[in-house]
Amino acid sequence: MTPDEKPILDEPPPALGTWARVYTAVLAYLAAVIVIFYLLTRRLGP
Amino acid sequence: MTALDWTVLFAWLATLVGYGLYRGRGSTTVNQFLLAGKTMPWYAMGLSIMATQASAITFISTTALGYTDGMRFVQFYFGLPVAMVILCVTVVPIFHRAKVYTAYEYLERRFDPKTRGLITGIFLISRGLQSGIALSAPAICLSIILGWPFEVTVGLMGGLVILYTTMGGIKAVTWADVPQMFVILSALVLSLIVAVHLLPPDVSFFDAVRIAGAAGKINIVTTRFDWNDRYNLWSGLIGGSFLFLAYFGTDQSQVQRYLTGKSIGQSRLSLLLNAVAKVPMQAFILFIGAMVFVFFVFERPPLVFNPAESPRVEQSHQFGAIAASSDQAFDQRRAAAREIKDAHDSTARSAAITKFNEAQKQFDAAHTAATQVGKETDTNYIFLSFVTHYLPRGAVGLALAVIFTAAMSASSGEINSLATVSIIDVYRRHFRPDLLNPDGTPTPGNDRHYLIASRVATAFWGLYAIAFASYARSFGALIETVNLVGSLFYGTMLGVFVLAFFVKRVRGTAAFMGVIAGQCVIFTVAGFTHIAYLWYNAIGCLVVIAVAVAVSFTRGRLDDDGLRPDNDGQSSAGG
Repeated sequence: MTPDEKPILDEPPPALGTWARVYTAVLAYLAAVIVIFYLLTRRLGP
Repeated sequence: MTALDWTVLFAWLATLVGYGLYRGRGSTTVNQFLLAGKTMPWYAMGLSIMATQASAITFISTTALGYTDGMRFVQFYFGLPVAMVILCVTVVPIFHRAKVYTAYEYLERRFDPKTRGLITGIFLISRGLQSGIALSAPAICLSIILGWPFEVTVGLMGGLVILYTTMGGIKAVTWADVPQMFVILSALVLSLIVAVHLLPPDVSFFDAVRIAGAAGKINIVTTRFDWNDRYNLWSGLIGGSFLFLAYFGTDQSQVQRYLTGKSIGQSRLSLLLNAVAKVPMQAFILFIGAMVFVFFVFERPPLVFNPAESPRVEQSHQFGAIAASSDQAFDQRRAAAREIKDAHDSTARSAAITKFNEAQKQFDAAHTAATQVGKETDTNYIFLSFVTHYLPRGAVGLALAVIFTAAMSASSGEINSLATVSIIDVYRRHFRPDLLNPDGTPTPGNDRHYLIASRVATAFWGLYAIAFASYARSFGALIETVNLVGSLFYGTMLGVFVLAFFVKRVRGTAAFMGVIAGQCVIFTVAGFTHIAYLWYNAIGCLVVIAVAVAVSFTRGRLDDDGLRPDNDGQSSAGG
């Protein structure tokens, strides 16, 4: 079998069970990072 | 540069190229050469994507941005995780299942040859320009720092890139980026440690952070909306999402990386690694710039950071006055920084910040006067000056080696993708489609023909990058402009792919006309308004979609009758 003929695999994510949960976790992480950066800006700004 | 630094520099260059060649061995088919036989694990693809973006000029200028403008540039990356999630849901499975070599191959299956040809042309022009600049910009800085002729620096970088990219293809490019990424991070961490360690004994790390904040360098998030402000929360989240959707979804230099994944899941994980790591990494690089700023609040910096300009400034008749003004401002700023550090209430802090800002204004004025005596901008030499003067022996060589290889990493990815598009979308599609079987696959003998053509195309684009880098050198400050011009095309490219994936009604002619209209609008917006460039991506994308949908409605019956069937990825056309 040539690489072109390999079946395309779509396996579940290694953690959190489903890809939808992984995506939600990534977006929640982004929101948390932005909030932390915002608080740092407010706390340390001139 | 000591003997140890030179040894480290050349040892790292040799190690990286050797590792790339070792990992890239066995690329004996087109699939292996261009897609690594679809065997790459997620961490290699993810780190390679990050390393490609951490190009040398980013490495040099991002720290400089932290020094001059603070950390607000990090907002530029807020749209990246959003874009990555959207791409994981949509583009990654579609491209994998379509079994394409290039993103543009898919456009012919979905639309028609002219739409594929138009987008291929846009990619080759914009990416071809950037391939030279990826070598040129860092080579200008490195040749001055190392005292080498520019041609030698470009020739060494370009020659090594051609060597391992031509021999090992995408596997060599991707695997060489993995250790590269770790060394980049090590050099950055070391730079931060040195900047903090060399602060005066009475100034702690937390004092340095407070001073950086008072100086306006910890300005990470700006919530105020302003169309003309390049970096704020909204331009980053909305404009940045469009930009990164276009960059990772339609630019072959990125698409090709995750097409090498052994499965859809592996490709998704490689993008999600970037989604999670990129924002903190950029914040960290900008923070280093802010800490280098604080370091130079206490350590007297040179009047200009560019060593090539120093003699010119020192020999000018204004030198005495500029130096005196700079020295006075430096002393006042340092004293004000200590007052900020020691302030125990908000009134004292505010008064100290006022003093600091006044001294900073005078200091900036002296610096501007000095750089105006010289011919070139000074910003890109701030971090290089810090690295070469304050890092310990050996580490200087490592830091410069990282900048060298970061330029090579960015360039190799571009050259590899340019070669892929040249062969798959141009040569195999238009010049030698006769070597393909009816099912679209070549026989082993013909596959070897395309493999050799791919290697030749890789070498060609490498030599082109070297030649264009020498030409781009004369652009001077225009280099930044040309980089900006690269972003003019992403919106339309994204628009046509959105149509391809989500708007089934739109056919080839409508998509083609949408791209032309989108490109015209973007050129008009760029030429006649002050709208920040991050918005170009959103505007271009929306115009392409709107015009294509409108055209598809006006041509409704004609298209529905099927001048070209809506085969949605099933056609064997496209080569």
